[in-house]
Amino acid sequence: MTPDLIYGVTGIAVFGIGLVGALCAQERLRRVLALKLCSVGAGFLLVVGAWREPPDTPDPVPHALVITGIVVMVSATAVALALIRRLQTLEAEDDA
Amino acid sequence: MTDPLVIFDLLLALAIVALAIAALSVRDLYAMIVLFVIFGLLSALAWVRLSAPDVALAEAAIGTGVTGALLLKTLHHLRFASGQRSACMTPAIPVPTGVMLANAAFCGLITLGLAVAFLGAPAAGPGFDALVAGAMPASGVDHPVTGVLLNFRAYDTLMEVVVLLAAVVAVWQIERGLSDAPSPEMGEVWQGFARLALPAIVVVGTYLLWVGAEAPGGAFQGGAVLAAVGLLLLLTRAYVPQPHHRGIARGAFVLGTGVFALVALLVAGGGRVAFEYPLDHAKTLILLIEGMVTISIAVTLAALFHGREPVALRKEVRHDT
Amino acid sequence: MTPDLDPMILAIFLPLFGAIAAFMLPRAAALIGLVTLAMTTGAVFWLAQRVLASGAVIVPLGGWGAPLGIDLRADGLSVAMLLLTSAVGFLVSVAALDSLKGADQARQRQYFWPLWLLLLTGMNGVYLSTDIFNLYVMIEVIALAAVGLTVLSGTKAALRAGLEYMYASILGALLFLMGVGFVYMQAGRLDFAGLIAAEPSAAMSAALALMIVGLLLKTALFPLHFWLPAAHANATAPASALLSGLVVKAALYIFLRLTTYMPLPDEILITLIGALGAGAVLWGGLQALRAERLKLLVAWSTVVQIGLIFIAFARAGQVGLAESWKAAALLILAHGVAKAAMFLAAGRIKDEIGHDRIRDLDRAPVRPTLAQFTFALAAISLIGLPPSLGFIGKWSLMEGAMAAGYWHWVAITMIGTFMSVAYFSRVLSAFLRFDRVRAPVGEHQGWALADAAPLTLALTAIGLGLMAAPILRFIEIGYPFGAAL
Repeated sequence: MTPDLIYGVTGIAVFGIGLVGALCAQERLRRVLALKLCSVGAGFLLVVGAWREPPDTPDPVPHALVITGIVVMVSATAVALALIRRLQTLEAEDDA
Repeated sequence: MTDPLVIFDLLLALAIVALAIAALSVRDLYAMIVLFVIFGLLSALAWVRLSAPDVALAEAAIGTGVTGALLLKTLHHLRFASGQRSACMTPAIPVPTGVMLANAAFCGLITLGLAVAFLGAPAAGPGFDALVAGAMPASGVDHPVTGVLLNFRAYDTLMEVVVLLAAVVAVWQIERGLSDAPSPEMGEVWQGFARLALPAIVVVGTYLLWVGAEAPGGAFQGGAVLAAVGLLLLLTRAYVPQPHHRGIARGAFVLGTGVFALVALLVAGGGRVAFEYPLDHAKTLILLIEGMVTISIAVTLAALFHGREPVALRKEVRHDT
Repeated sequence: MTPDLDPMILAIFLPLFGAIAAFMLPRAAALIGLVTLAMTTGAVFWLAQRVLASGAVIVPLGGWGAPLGIDLRADGLSVAMLLLTSAVGFLVSVAALDSLKGADQARQRQYFWPLWLLLLTGMNGVYLSTDIFNLYVMIEVIALAAVGLTVLSGTKAALRAGLEYMYASILGALLFLMGVGFVYMQAGRLDFAGLIAAEPSAAMSAALALMIVGLLLKTALFPLHFWLPAAHANATAPASALLSGLVVKAALYIFLRLTTYMPLPDEILITLIGALGAGAVLWGGLQALRAERLKLLVAWSTVVQIGLIFIAFARAGQVGLAESWKAAALLILAHGVAKAAMFLAAGRIKDEIGHDRIRDLDRAPVRPTLAQFTFALAAISLIGLPPSLGFIGKWSLMEGAMAAGYWHWVAITMIGTFMSVAYFSRVLSAFLRFDRVRAPVGEHQGWALADAAPLTLALTAIGLGLMAAPILRFIEIGYPFGAAL
């Protein structure tokens, strides 16, 4: 058993868990988190794909892609959270 | 199987999966975020095991650190806005259990399919290894990941900075006004710590940027660490964004994108296409781009955390539609 | 040193610099936006000329060349999409000058332009990209800018719709990214040529499935359309026109490309996609018949039209795929132009009358005659009456289906056409009644300069039908897409 196998399956499991959360979660915040889990799962897959049996060094291209993916995801998360905050403010104003 | 590292890997993998499940199923949202942060850090650890230290740094700093801070801030805001600390803030439109189970079963099926496909894929598939190794001498940097990010696939990276810019424009459009939720309470000790830690963080961030050319690190990790300075300043109220700071902030947001795009365009000519840095100047140009991008990333991430465009709201213009 | 300019680079960088300038100088944003749109359109025409003269063209960014670097490539289809985007975008921008002119809309004005120019950057990037990871980044640029535009009005309904749109967009993009991961594992490269060269395997099937589901979610094919009607109906008029006319087309375009490079492995899957399209036509049609608001009706008609495009894709099964994509492309172009016109006209009607409740449309004292006329013209193209481009698209859909003996697709298309006649008649009949109250002639003119842009779009949608043959010849340039790679 090599790390790529172990973490590859881990990544797919995390992606699946995120998927369930994205479709089933009720709170807005939890759905955002579920999507973030999906992105971590996708990151695992790419990092695992890049892994080579030591002493070979891993393929740097997927590493760069995952870094890009992380930055993209934090941007998307920030926008979704801003929407949630604004919506909550408006809804609270209505109740008041 | 006797390799202790395999056992470590297995345990780590189990912990990651368990934390993911726990984060999505725990009732309290604060606990959810804490579990997520642990999950993120363990994932970063797993990526270190997969010899991807750059990715691990980025995930720990941005994927987990900044995301966690954003989530906590939002939770704080939601609890403040809904007026009661325990309120769970979404008007729950209850989804029927049947639908949820069907969804879950569907996702399970998909995941199973993906696992089968993964196990059937070649273990160490073909990759870019040879291509990158061959092109590295002409890239102007020594660290392969930096070479990919800022030279071979620089176009992707430019667009990634554009995504950040789009995010901050969208966030400013969505939220406006000076913060109405009080900042989370911070003890004096914590404030003192923050002041002491600031210089250290600045040094670490700059170091990460600098070593990016030959060792793990680079603009994104460095930017995220520097953004932590901004977060601390905002949290301790050492810096409160004011309406007249907007011009400078806008400039900082677009600095990275603008310089990157300009360099990419201006190097074209004399048989070279866009993004094709002349070899003699490649290192300088890449360092210039990285520096500017780092500043933009740091300011943008801090602004995304702050979340709203600092405009002074007058009552009558509050609800412009 | 003067840099060598290339129209492909300009098509992406001009809107990007425009967005930066518009963000930095909010007061001049509208001017910057219009100038940028005009220049981008110019660059796209330059590119079109080049493609006409010498076929598909490639720019290897950074000089590396795929698979290590990223190539930009323009062929007939990509240039047609670019032309659609910049021409429609320019006219919508002109219309936006008027519909965002209110004193209370200063904020919307300020943010409309940078977001829209970033959106344009992303869309032009998609149409020129040849790398699936680059496509992922581009669809995220589009997603964030599009969500920003959706919630521009800041109302609660718009914010709710925008949040749903955001969830759907992120999930779609992440499914796509997971697919990219599988492609890398199997093929070891990410450019289109790598996709063509890859051997079929379980990993490639998984990748294709993930990417297609992600794209279907983004393009809102039934039953993944749940986010679209609210998002498109609640945005401000120019934003709706951009979202419905242009943004959903980006994912459709990627779908057309991917299914050419990685053919669907089984006839059943093509039938399934056609069946989902049929579901969209029927369900969307029913909802449009029931809609109470004009803009909601128009949004549901988008769901129908997207279904139709997928039926066109599936019209002749696997053997017909080499031709079917052209029918789908014609419908994409037709819908892009006509729907932008219709949303702008609907926005004008709403502005003039003050509401957009369909049942009360005929009771309004004010008659925005020209906007209503524009709406009717756009409806002609969307229903598919000759000589509009919509007609040509539908005709080539049915012709192909009949030739292949797939009569069920013909039947569904006919049913969809009748339904669209029915739901557009609800609106048109309200326009045609003259027996109600009328405001004194001095109070309204029935037309305004602001009608010029939507009217031009609607006339174009009809007039383009006469140019169908050259359009078809043009989009074939560089096909099969793999040939020049």
